[in-house]
Amino acid sequence: MNADPASPSLPRPEVLLALLDGTVEASPLLREAAHLAAQSRGTWLAVHLDLARHSLYSRTQEAQLQKQLRLAEQLGAEVIQLEPGISASRQLLALARARQVTAIVLGHRGPSKWWQRLLGTLPDTLLDHAPELRVHLVPLVPERAPLRAWVPEYPGIAQMTSALLVVALATALDFVARPHVDLADLVMVYLLGITFVATRFGRMAALLTSLLCVAALDFCFIPPRFTFAVQDVRHLGTFGVMLGVGWIVANLAERIRAQARMALEREGHASALNRLGSVLAEGGSVEAIRDRVETYLRKELGMPVLVLLSNQHGLPGDADHARRLGPDEWAVAQWALQHAAPAGRGTAALPGARGLFLPMHGTEHPIGVLALFPEDRQAAVEPERQSLLTVLAAQISLALERSHLAEERTEARIHAEEEQLRNTLLSSVSHDLRTPLATITGATSNLLAPGPEADPGDQRMLLTTIHEEAGRLQRLVNNLLDLTKLESGQVKVHKEWVPLDEVVGSVLNRMEEQLAERRLELDLPEVWVPLDPVLFEQVLHNLLDNALKYSPAGSSLTLRAQQSEDHLLLLLSDQGPGIPQGEEERIFEKLYRGTWGPKTTGAGLGLAICRGIIQAHGGSIHACNAAAGGLEIRIALPIEGAPPELPPEGNL
Amino acid sequence: MSSNNPLVLIIEDELPMRRYLRATLQSHGYKVEEALSAEEGRVQARHLVPDIVLLDLGLPDGDGLDLARELRAWTQVPIIIVSARGREEDKVSALDLGADDYLSKPFGSAELLARIRVALRHSAAVAGAVTDPVVEVGGLRMDFSSREVTLAGEIVHLSPNEYALLAALVQHAGKVLTHRQLLREVWGSSVGAQPHYLRVYMASLRKKLEADPARPQLLLTEPGVGYRLKG
Repeated sequence: MNADPASPSLPRPEVLLALLDGTVEASPLLREAAHLAAQSRGTWLAVHLDLARHSLYSRTQEAQLQKQLRLAEQLGAEVIQLEPGISASRQLLALARARQVTAIVLGHRGPSKWWQRLLGTLPDTLLDHAPELRVHLVPLVPERAPLRAWVPEYPGIAQMTSALLVVALATALDFVARPHVDLADLVMVYLLGITFVATRFGRMAALLTSLLCVAALDFCFIPPRFTFAVQDVRHLGTFGVMLGVGWIVANLAERIRAQARMALEREGHASALNRLGSVLAEGGSVEAIRDRVETYLRKELGMPVLVLLSNQHGLPGDADHARRLGPDEWAVAQWALQHAAPAGRGTAALPGARGLFLPMHGTEHPIGVLALFPEDRQAAVEPERQSLLTVLAAQISLALERSHLAEERTEARIHAEEEQLRNTLLSSVSHDLRTPLATITGATSNLLAPGPEADPGDQRMLLTTIHEEAGRLQRLVNNLLDLTKLESGQVKVHKEWVPLDEVVGSVLNRMEEQLAERRLELDLPEVWVPLDPVLFEQVLHNLLDNALKYSPAGSSLTLRAQQSEDHLLLLLSDQGPGIPQGEEERIFEKLYRGTWGPKTTGAGLGLAICRGIIQAHGGSIHACNAAAGGLEIRIALPIEGAPPELPPEGNL
Repeated sequence: MSSNNPLVLIIEDELPMRRYLRATLQSHGYKVEEALSAEEGRVQARHLVPDIVLLDLGLPDGDGLDLARELRAWTQVPIIIVSARGREEDKVSALDLGADDYLSKPFGSAELLARIRVALRHSAAVAGAVTDPVVEVGGLRMDFSSREVTLAGEIVHLSPNEYALLAALVQHAGKVLTHRQLLREVWGSSVGAQPHYLRVYMASLRKKLEADPARPQLLLTEPGVGYRLKG
């Protein structure tokens, strides 16, 4: 049997398309679409017609549509705007095909009107051309006040004056031209005037102008002249044409103006987004992005702006920003974050606040709140501004979320690397700890065992072994502690001016026993070096210890120093096997043990400690093969400044 | 064991360490008493009147430093601090408080016995209050009455500060002296004195007294703590 990977009870993921026009309260439609999409684990698109296409859109409708779009975004929709000037149904069909839409959700507002029956409705058209689409109709209740109602904008004084002037000018021109031309030509001059007014001053002024033009034509040129009476009934038709043309031109002009306004606004949004994009593209830490965004928005919007970042418990009340806001405003910001809705000035929630708070949501968690403090009461309320801010907030949330995730990833990687190193260290160290312990346990049990008295020579040999192994344990534990302290940053370098031979002297003293059978050649200039005597002694000790381990018994070692202007170069060479090429840096790595040369005991910590200490001094340490053979370790220590002056002895 | 063998009070909470100290000391003729805590040590020190105290700094019931300070308030008994390596600040504080010397764990029996011998010798000298006007250490001979210093019979010329520094070290030969103690000995309680001054005079002393200053045989450095004249 062929196993279907998808469970049969789970419906195929749907791609739904909801159509919005802002004419009615459409939240039931949006919720239904979101519900259907969620049921099938699908996605949904909220498609709206371009506002500019509809010259009769009022501000109220525009605001309503914006609200619906915001709700759609919150419900998880992808918002798509249809292009103006192309048939909506054709665009919808193309979109449905491109995005493999399975169903369309439409609002249904009661019985269709007679013209709809005549011309066909959008659902009819869609179903005709794409019968495979399912259509969900959601009953919507139109609001009592018809939103499509035309809210007349009364022409201002300037518009009326201009209308009067244009009519007067056209009439004057006609008076001059009348003897030479037809009545139709006179009408043309008036139409020119109407068109001019329509493009310059808008629909109301154009309609007023067409009325005035008809009156002026009738009064001045239609016989009987200088009365409003009309002799020839055909002239009434001329008036009708003039009014009709005026109406059409006025509406066309208005639509162009609206489109221009929208284009300008969109252009403004686009360039604002563009600039934000370049601000965000710089990346960096969450805090760095926040600071840059604040600076950018302050400049862009001309008002104080704060970006409040939230953690998993909400907005942290102890942050610097929270203190700057004050408890009341901070509470409003918290509300906005919790309810994922704008709050504060100019919104429905807590409008008494001084600031406007826009929540920023990432794909999974809330990111924070954008707090704006407009100077005057109106500035933040304009719907265009609101929509721009919403888009900006979305972009900022995404960038912040990305940066946050990147930080988390880096942390996780570092954590994993540390874990890896810890495991290696643990396994290596546990081996190095167990070996001497096993030897000591074995040797002591032998010495303690009842039985025939052992040979005194053997006894001594066992005791020597115990002593040596204990020393080895001691070194390992010391190195481990040193390295742990170095790596955790607990080690503070206390630089003091010290004569080089004093530091070398104290190490040689400490290693007297070990060095007894070796010849150590010293070539040290009389020089004062700024270093931490305790730490540096540790470096020399580890290096000498290493040189003793890796060079044949009885061979000699050389320790030389050269002073340059701002550096001390310290060179320690042995007569051992040297170092294979390519291993020069690796020997300073933690837990790295050379595979060449004599088999030695050590956890590979000594040189790592040396490098840590030298680097903490601002110096460098390298290894190479000496010209005469053997390994040479080179330490460069910076010498900055000069040792303090000593007062003359008598005055001390 | 004769009754005038010196009595050592060991204040140490670790049993293996106490065993080791007891075994080593008893086999070298010392009498040994043990205290397992700071409190017990305080009581024992009053009751037993030991000749020398070995004090571990890491005691379970209190800071060894506090105990050292307390003991020093009423007795001049030599105190040798026993502590782990890498705690240089603790050692310096203990020495500045009046402890006589320190031993870094782990230490061998030779080192332990040498320190105890030096400390006992100094306490005897202080008790006798008669300082020998001539002290000889190695090839170095220092005559405090004539202020003359000779090395292998040759007269060494020292500046006043060098002399004061050497005198301090010679008087406490074998014992570590902290930077602060030496600064006080040489320059009094002068505020401006820094460890750097010490290093400068130490370097010039070594040039005059040591064959190879990088392999000192006499004037030893205790890194992070101070100096010691090999005694």
